[in-house]
Amino acid sequence: MGEIGHGGKEIKERIMAPSEAKEKIKGLTAVPVRSQIANEIIDIAYGFFTPLEGFMGRADLESVCKNMRLTNGVVWSIPILFDLSDQELSDYGIKEGDTILLTYDGNPMAIMEVEEIYKYDKKEICQYVYGTTEEKHPGCARTYKYKDNFLGGKITLVNRPKINPPFDPYFVPPLELRKRFREKGWVRVVAHQTRNVPHTGHEWLMKGAWLQTYGELPIEKPLVGVLVNAIIGEKRKGDYIDEAIILCQDELRKAGYFGDHNHMTTLTFWDMRYAGPREAVFHAALRANLGLTHHMYGRDHAGVGTYYGPYDAHHMLEELKEDLSITPVYSMNWLYCPHCGEITSEGLCNHRDEWQKFSGTVIRSIVQDGVKPPKLIFRPEVFDLVMECAEKYGFGSPFVTDEYLEKRTPVFNILPLE
Amino acid sequence: MTEERYPINIWINEERYEKLKNAGLADMCEEMLAGLKVLRVYCTEAQKDKILKVFPTAKFDSATTKSIELLPRDVKDKIFDKIVEKKSVDIMEEFLSQY
Repeated sequence: MGEIGHGGKEIKERIMAPSEAKEKIKGLTAVPVRSQIANEIIDIAYGFFTPLEGFMGRADLESVCKNMRLTNGVVWSIPILFDLSDQELSDYGIKEGDTILLTYDGNPMAIMEVEEIYKYDKKEICQYVYGTTEEKHPGCARTYKYKDNFLGGKITLVNRPKINPPFDPYFVPPLELRKRFREKGWVRVVAHQTRNVPHTGHEWLMKGAWLQTYGELPIEKPLVGVLVNAIIGEKRKGDYIDEAIILCQDELRKAGYFGDHNHMTTLTFWDMRYAGPREAVFHAALRANLGLTHHMYGRDHAGVGTYYGPYDAHHMLEELKEDLSITPVYSMNWLYCPHCGEITSEGLCNHRDEWQKFSGTVIRSIVQDGVKPPKLIFRPEVFDLVMECAEKYGFGSPFVTDEYLEKRTPVFNILPLE
Repeated sequence: MTEERYPINIWINEERYEKLKNAGLADMCEEMLAGLKVLRVYCTEAQKDKILKVFPTAKFDSATTKSIELLPRDVKDKIFDKIVEKKSVDIMEEFLSQY
């Protein structure tokens, strides 16, 4: 038996050897895909999305919406869909039963066996998945942008992505990652979900989760690791640039705030849906596939605005925990207490009137004002690296600008098939 | 009941601190987060809403700090200059009147 992933299903990479691929794609209709779909093709093909083998058909979509499960009974919370317009279907002449070639960067990426072409009420998807139909919810906005037809069917990657520097060492697919955990001797690994450059509040979230995860294990040798799994996907203006996020997360290890014995950074390609509790469940499935045993969840995990209560995700995870093969670790906020003179947990310190809370947004504001935050709040090595990334990758800014969006080097490319 | 007020944190970099010292206003700064100097300019609910509308990059940190963050640096510089000019942090009404 191979590696077992989410839902008790074996993780199987769906990747064709280049020599076979060249023959298989001959004569197939080529259909270009956008970055979201390319990201999800990678996730499906490498097993990040086990047990999915392709884009969802109608029955799975309906079941995911209404029951939060695939039709095979495995918990799944977010629809994974491939969309085309009527015009595109007509122009490409695609019909059920066809095999098509999906291309990215103008080059072959994957073949898809089109099992089903169907329409589905997008408003209904939004109501079930996001709990709202408001267009200002970013997940709804993404759903409404889907074209009118969904294509369900299996995907096979025919051309591995070339991950560009500095991201290349951080793309570690599930089967390889599980090997690395074994090499390190980790018996438990806790996930830290991030899209941020870390401040010390984040650092302590990780340290707290590591302590919680260690539990009753013997301490003679390192047995527990933290995996920072950065989400790399669509950027919004004002976000930290991707290069700063991934390199600064790893800097916590390199600068000694963690070490090789307890910390690793990798990435997953995913365009955040901000689905709050449902996204938390999705993250549990994703990280179970990566080989993690525990997942840290803070307040308002993957939420946006005021759509979800701060502990809605925790409640949903508790309801589903029998069907998730990962243990949730709930974390309270960390803050600065001037009385204690340290970063502390709101569950520990009782100098409540003196607490100074800080967030990623506040730190961004400080950096934007040209101020270097104190080392208790933001590690100097991380600050220096943020500034270096601004010069090297961000056209002078550590934050996403129009110029960055236009001129940046993509995280990955699909090259011509050799 | 007192109306809720929301701060804009003007973080004091070296340039701003020089200006404050030269104007004899260095004492206006508060110290936060283990040694950061900051001027806190408070806004009413209506002023907060106007700021978020006029400056789309600005964000109200509703979850953690209840403060208005990520105003563009040049806008913060203008607010800062107004504070130095008026020797007061009670300047938001006048500042926003030009928008």
